[in-house]
Amino acid sequence: MNARPHDLKAMGEAASPAILLSGLTKHYGSHRALGGVDLEVRRGEKVVICGPSGSGKSTLIRCINALERHDGGRIVVNGIELTADEGTVQDIRQEVGMVFQHFNLFPHLTALENCMLAPQLNRGLTKPQAEKLAMLYLERVHLADHVRKYPSRLSGGQQQRVAIARALCMEPRILLFDEPTSALDPEMVNEVLGVMEELAASGVTMLCVTHEMGFARRVADRCVFMDHGEIVESGDAATFFEAPRSERLRGFLAQILR
Amino acid sequence: MTNLSPADLAGYLRQLGEGALITLELFLASFAFAFVFGVLIGVVTLSRNRLVQAAWRVYASIFMGVPTLLVIFLVFYGGSAMLMTVLGELGSEIDISPFGAGVTALAVVYAAYIAELVRGAIENLPKGQFEGARALAIPPIIMWGKVILPQVMRLALPGLVNVWSFMLKETPLVSLAGLQDLVAASKIAAGATKEPFIFFIATALVFIAFSAATLKLATILEIRLDRGLRREPNARTARADA
Repeated sequence: MNARPHDLKAMGEAASPAILLSGLTKHYGSHRALGGVDLEVRRGEKVVICGPSGSGKSTLIRCINALERHDGGRIVVNGIELTADEGTVQDIRQEVGMVFQHFNLFPHLTALENCMLAPQLNRGLTKPQAEKLAMLYLERVHLADHVRKYPSRLSGGQQQRVAIARALCMEPRILLFDEPTSALDPEMVNEVLGVMEELAASGVTMLCVTHEMGFARRVADRCVFMDHGEIVESGDAATFFEAPRSERLRGFLAQILR
Repeated sequence: MTNLSPADLAGYLRQLGEGALITLELFLASFAFAFVFGVLIGVVTLSRNRLVQAAWRVYASIFMGVPTLLVIFLVFYGGSAMLMTVLGELGSEIDISPFGAGVTALAVVYAAYIAELVRGAIENLPKGQFEGARALAIPPIIMWGKVILPQVMRLALPGLVNVWSFMLKETPLVSLAGLQDLVAASKIAAGATKEPFIFFIATALVFIAFSAATLKLATILEIRLDRGLRREPNARTARADA
């Protein structure tokens, strides 16, 4: 394994994984969305999850920060076990940043205000401190010239980059991406993937639901294929794409790589 | 053409002015309470709890179905008895004024309408707004105050302006419980002088003036709440400046 600075730091901490899922189940009524998923994500690891729609991949990552409550199995994030207790939910959300398919920016706040809100509330920063932090991350996603604009004045790609900056302002150690480029016009996909690749190089742990296979090849330490609420196959990016073992993954790759 | 002396006219107009002030106070107090309770009720009744839902349905069907005048009478004539039942001896000490009864009745009735508007607006907000806030670990109270309600107010504003106008027009009902408001004063003046047109038209003008001021205020609010969502940020202000 490459000894990135973050990994060295991580080794000093408890050897617990960034994310540990074991026997995770989730039902919507009688529909089984997740049927006993086991997944371990090491600190600093980049994992891409793919699979057909309805395979449970979004549900999986939404369970990790409790946007959906799981009904069986365990979720442990940075050593914190997610329980019914609201306190653990808030603790985990502080550790985990999330980027959504539809950005979910607050339309009545400027890009800068979107980024400043959570750090001021949760990390006790003063307004100037929060503004400085927000500027730092907005610059990092190459939006320094647009900080005073409202989301409606920004393109889809710019809005998604604001959303990434907003998540980064909580300085999370884990980032979850739920199909971050699926709602974008094709010409804007690359600017968002570019930012995500830069982030990946910074050593943060990433769990990313995406169909961008080029991104997966370049960035992912591991790819996971889900179908019908289960992990069917997982492996490093090269094996995953070049030598898929299961029939279902071969079929899926044939579909999306056409 | 009129046998009303200027001194009498001035006297009656002064009474009208005092009545207008009472109407305005009644209206603003009632709207303020209706707004606060309406928003609270709107947020709370989003809960799927069956008891909360049942309570909301009973409350809404009573106060949206029963004439406002009847509610005013109920509070005014029945209020003392109700207070006595709830508070015992202490309740009998409290005297219910026409003004207090009016504010209570109008607030209770219109809170139901405002709650309905707020509920509709919240349900029309994309679910992603809640999820975005929750994923950022923003505590619920601040999520409502800083993220959800500002957007809800924007969606609910046209309906709120309607409620505002409608409520203003219903305030004279409280005069039937004995409140000396604008309409009561003009009725007395019209009856005593046999000059209904002068006083009733003057009264109508006061209401029209107040409505016009309302519309102006609504436009300012709309611009404020629409920030970030208007197509051209400067077009409107430029026109207003011209």
